[in-house]
Amino acid sequence: MAPDDAARFPALLDAVASLVRAPAVEARIAADAEAFFAEGGLSAADAASLAALGERRLLVYRKLVRRGLTAAIRLEIPRTAARLGGGFEAWVERFIDEEAPRSHYLRDVAFELVAWAAPRWAADALVPDHLGDLARHELTAFEVGSAEDGGGVTGIDLELDTRARFHASVRLARYEHAVHRLLADEGARDVPAREPTALLAYRDAEHEVRYLELTPLAAAILDRLLLGETLRSAVVGASSALRSALGPEVLAGTARLLDDLAQRGALLGGAP
Amino acid sequence: MSITASVDGVGLGLRFAFLDEVIEAIDEGERLPGVAFFEVSPENHMRRGGHVPAAVERIAEHYRFLTHGLTLSVGGLDPFDRAYMAELRRFIERARAPFHSDHLCFSSAGGRMLHDLLPLPLSRASAIHVAARIREAQDLLGVPIAIENITRYFVPGERSMDEADYLTEVLERSGARLLLDVNNVWVNAANDGEDALSFLQRLPLDRVVQLHVAGHDRSEEHGLVIDTHGASTTETVLDLCAWVIARTGPLPVVLERDHRIPPLPELLIELARVEAAYARGLAAHALERGAPREVTHGS
Repeated sequence: MAPDDAARFPALLDAVASLVRAPAVEARIAADAEAFFAEGGLSAADAASLAALGERRLLVYRKLVRRGLTAAIRLEIPRTAARLGGGFEAWVERFIDEEAPRSHYLRDVAFELVAWAAPRWAADALVPDHLGDLARHELTAFEVGSAEDGGGVTGIDLELDTRARFHASVRLARYEHAVHRLLADEGARDVPAREPTALLAYRDAEHEVRYLELTPLAAAILDRLLLGETLRSAVVGASSALRSALGPEVLAGTARLLDDLAQRGALLGGAP
Repeated sequence: MSITASVDGVGLGLRFAFLDEVIEAIDEGERLPGVAFFEVSPENHMRRGGHVPAAVERIAEHYRFLTHGLTLSVGGLDPFDRAYMAELRRFIERARAPFHSDHLCFSSAGGRMLHDLLPLPLSRASAIHVAARIREAQDLLGVPIAIENITRYFVPGERSMDEADYLTEVLERSGARLLLDVNNVWVNAANDGEDALSFLQRLPLDRVVQLHVAGHDRSEEHGLVIDTHGASTTETVLDLCAWVIARTGPLPVVLERDHRIPPLPELLIELARVEAAYARGLAAHALERGAPREVTHGS
């Protein structure tokens, strides 16, 4: 083995990764490819060898990786992507430049992009206000549809001092806009009402994703139950937080809600 | 005993696009013609519930599975993610796969996963590094690993080893088996202006445990043949498949299709072409071994 072989190895991997990930590589390669690689710590011989490949071949992986990730993200948030129009690809490019995926699972990349982009969209006047909510709503559908299966019905009654066991797919999504009422068509450009929204999403026995629009009190109770509070604590705490009188109507309404969720298979009973 | 003793013949890479059609055939009590087994990519199924795993479990009741990973990044410098490896191990165990395959490449760098098969330098240091990582992965996964030769659109840095020698050295140092993708061999040879068969002749074919065949496309944009898995397998690639089978004997051969996936019946017609090439290879293998040949009138 050549004495410098071991040292060359990580530098060469870095060079390939930089070709894929580094910002504005196209211009830097076009200006002086050897300098680009030398700046990355490659030996003169390796830098020259890579530079000799020419711009088109050096950029192959950059294009393949970025197109592959863009397509994978678009698949999970197609309506968000459509509403971003030509800007969508630029956002993915920025995400790869500044953050890039970490997960082993390609289906996680859209989640990683939205986690990174949503605060930036919120601060960008050119991006519609509701876009972060719409992206999260699209991801909720994907997440619920593919959430790992948990156990079945517990066979334990949900009493006041027990905790609830929900189906593993259940998620409580909160948005600032009523994005669930937007037209489903990717070409639609309707604007949702700015309206605090809480949805309980779950997967039914036929693997379909279903949504229930919740009142603020129902959402607050379910939030607490999902966090592992007992039924008593969830109802008392939610009523108190919302300054809602805890009377027979609330108790009856809660019982009806929980019964409905049990019928739908979203609530599996009391936790053991 | 060969680690592939329980799986050979021609199989298909299982894709979401035709999952429901496979289930429909199972529901009707039919076996898909020519499909001896399916190859699944664990990363598409791990940590997942709902329709897809339910369908995959039903299919597993009727077909054997081989597992083919996408993001092991066996050539990379990032340490293996223990949670991912543990989950992968559980998946492989549930699939009862006799070995697990992934690519001779790197996919992650600096903690970032780029979800592609990036090329490794062809050097002894690279071979030593990869071999050690394969051994570590085998320990973590608890099954033998087969490593797949990739399509690479360039080799980073000055080559201090020839590609066939590099591959051989990785296999020898690691004890890994080879998943030989003959389409990748052809694409690399085409892009380099070299001869695919000459490359195959230099490989340790006794280490091959599985073959891949797939289609490719010529890209004007890149000025290269790209391993797209988006077209039908060419006869040239199928001839390479038959050539290898003639020398190895029965092995699992997988048809991969990831883009522009045609309706399943069309894919099965293509699979029949793969099966014909496989049969040609087996016949040549039997002749080579002096096995009696069936004769018919006039033959």
